[in-house]
Order: sequence, then structure tokens, then C-alpha cells
Amino acid sequence: MRLRLGAVTVAACAFLLTAVLPVMAHHSFQAEYDATKTITVKGTIQKLEWVNPHAYFWVDVKDANGKVTTYAFETLSPNALARQGWNRNSLKKGEEVTVDGYLAKDGKPLADGSTHANSKGVTRADGRKVFQGSSADEAYTGSTK
Amino acid sequence: MTKREAGSVAIALAVAAGMALIPLTSSAQSDPATTGKFGSVGPGGPGKGGKGGGGSKGKASPSLGPAPRMPDGKASLQGVWSPANFGFTGGPYPLQPWAQEVLNQRRANQSKDDPEGYCLPAGVPRISPFPQKTIQTPEVLVILEEGNIHSYRQVFLDGRPHSKEDQLWMGDSIGKWEGNDVLVVDTTNFNDKTWLGGSAPHTDQLHVVERFSRPDLGHLQVDITLEDPGAFTKPHSFQRIFNLMQNTDLLEYVCNEFNIDKDHLVGR
Repeated sequence: MRLRLGAVTVAACAFLLTAVLPVMAHHSFQAEYDATKTITVKGTIQKLEWVNPHAYFWVDVKDANGKVTTYAFETLSPNALARQGWNRNSLKKGEEVTVDGYLAKDGKPLADGSTHANSKGVTRADGRKVFQGSSADEAYTGSTK
Repeated sequence: MTKREAGSVAIALAVAAGMALIPLTSSAQSDPATTGKFGSVGPGGPGKGGKGGGGSKGKASPSLGPAPRMPDGKASLQGVWSPANFGFTGGPYPLQPWAQEVLNQRRANQSKDDPEGYCLPAGVPRISPFPQKTIQTPEVLVILEEGNIHSYRQVFLDGRPHSKEDQLWMGDSIGKWEGNDVLVVDTTNFNDKTWLGGSAPHTDQLHVVERFSRPDLGHLQVDITLEDPGAFTKPHSFQRIFNLMQNTDLLEYVCNEFNIDKDHLVGR
């Protein structure tokens, strides 16, 4: 029972804390991304653009045949990332990462041909996590509470 | 579950709720160098009286001393404020049938046409999840918004009537003190282009009354009443709370820089 209570407490704390973190997008997450199409990709950072309203990073993913697919991941806004201690050098070109995310609803590539997705968080090769959080984490203001 | 265990859960939830009110600068990942880069609010600003400190790494909540006052005796509403109950709109709006139908359509489309997604103003009293900074003089209260496309509000306190300018995105705001503790802000002259929080529509008859007060050093309270004879069946009220953010300031957020989202908002 004690263990279970601990889990309940941790879950309650986690829920209440994430409920107030400033991770919102300026747009409806559900209008752009599909929460049911989750992906996890492993690859190398091609580039990071520290831009508004969302920073983006591109990841090159090689399949078993050596074919490379590039994913463009939307992450939080630079101000939200900065308040959590991250910056434009938090991901470096060529570094190996694993990214959890969601695919875009329209299924269309971006103008540069990359696969469009939204990042939930990045894990570096040494296990350290960066750019944690997604506009999916919190209800968009579309919900009346 | 025994009574004692139930009590433990209740205490844990209360602690968690308290932690949830920590200023949003708190994060396990924030480092002092980065946090320091953004500076403090400065002499006379809200950070002066606090002991908790910003960038508190989730450990300390701000010192909740008495609300500071301006030299003229009015409550100081100044500070950098983070919304504590962002998204809260006080339950369903009392919408007229046509407005309810519009809201239903917007929800069915996942709010894809929200002007905010196109980097247009969110309007009033809607806010962004990002901080606001209030600057106060006897003549004007200025609200600077980090989100909401870096917009600003000027609440004139010099006794002037409402402007003749109408169809405004952010409306026209004038304010009047009730005693020394409550600033009543009256906003009219809206257009009908913005969406209320929760995606509900309003008309250009929207009338917003916000009662600003500072119950203690660490919090700003805004009691909001919306009236709109064109879209509502009766007035609608709710309360918004902001947490004081210490040792930080507004950051840049230029929505239109790379807003490729607008080309991919497909809705349902």
C-alpha cells in the first residue's frame, strides 16, 4: 500500500506541475498534429533553427539499407526553452539523438522535403534529455474549463 | 486505504498544489547562468521585496509578504506575472444559440482558424501562457505581453472617457481605483475578430470589466466579468490568478518569424 501511495503521490505531483508549465503553442496542437501517430526516431542532428514561434530541429534517420529520411521537428518556442535553461547550442550538428514525437496530420512534407513532426523530447547519446515538452502536453485554450 | 493514509494523500496533493503555484521559471533544467542572463526586474520592481528568488529550481516558493504599495498609496500591481490558471474561463459561456453553433463548429475543426495561430492578437481578456509585465503610474497602467504577439495594453487612469476609436483588436481600456486596493478596468470598442478563451465568439458589443488587486506580494488577482448583448444571454464572470516571477523579465517572442504552422492547420 505504501508503494502504491507513493506512486499516486508522484503521479499527482507530476500532473499538477505539468499543468502549469509554459509549454503552450500559439496554435491548436490537434489542428496540426495527430496525437495518435506517435513516433520514436534515432538519428543525427542536421541543424537547429532557434526561431519563433517554435524552434525547429532536423534529424537525419538512416534505415537498414542506408536510405536517409529527414525529419523536421517542431519544439517549444525559444522563450519557453530558454526559461528551462536550453539554448541554440543545446543540440549540435552531427550529434546522435533519439526523438519522441507526433506526426503532422496533413502528412505533407515541409518545403525542403523533410517529414513534418512535433517533438515531445530529445534524448542524447549519453542519456541526457533536452528540449522536453510539447504543445501536446497541455490542453490548448480551445477547451473551456 | 486507512484514514492516516488518506490523510497522507491529501497532504501530498496539497503540497503538489502549492508547488504548482511556484513561478514558472522553476525547472530542473534551468541553470543559474542562463537564468541570470535575463536579469532581475530592477530597483523598485517586484523582485525587491522577495526572498524566494526566481529560477528557484522548484525548491522555493516566493515569499508571500504583504502587497507592496506605490508612493501614492495605491496597491502596486507592478511585476512580471505568470498565469497560474491559464486556460480557465469559468465554465461554459452563456452563449446565444448562434454563438453556441459557431463555438461547436470551431471545436469540430480543432480551432484551426483561431487568429492566434496566424500570429494575430488573442484580444482581451484572453491571454497567452507566457508572462506579462505591468508598469504602473498614477496616470496609466501598461500591460506588456510576452506572448499574444508582443502586444500591449494601455489602461488610462487620468479620468478620460473611452476613446472614439472603435473596432479595436485589444479594445480601449480606462481604469478607476476603488479605494487603494482595487483597480477597476473597463474595456470596450472591440472588433469581433478575436476569439475568447475556449474558442467562443464575441461581437463588437463585448464589454470587459477587470478588477485588479494584489492580495499579497506573490500574486495578482483579476476578477473578470464579460458582457456581450450580441453573443451572451447574461454576464459571465471568472477569476484569474497570476504568480509573481522574480529575478526575470520578459523575453523576446516574435510570432511571425517562422510561422509555418498556419500552412499545416488542417483541423479534424
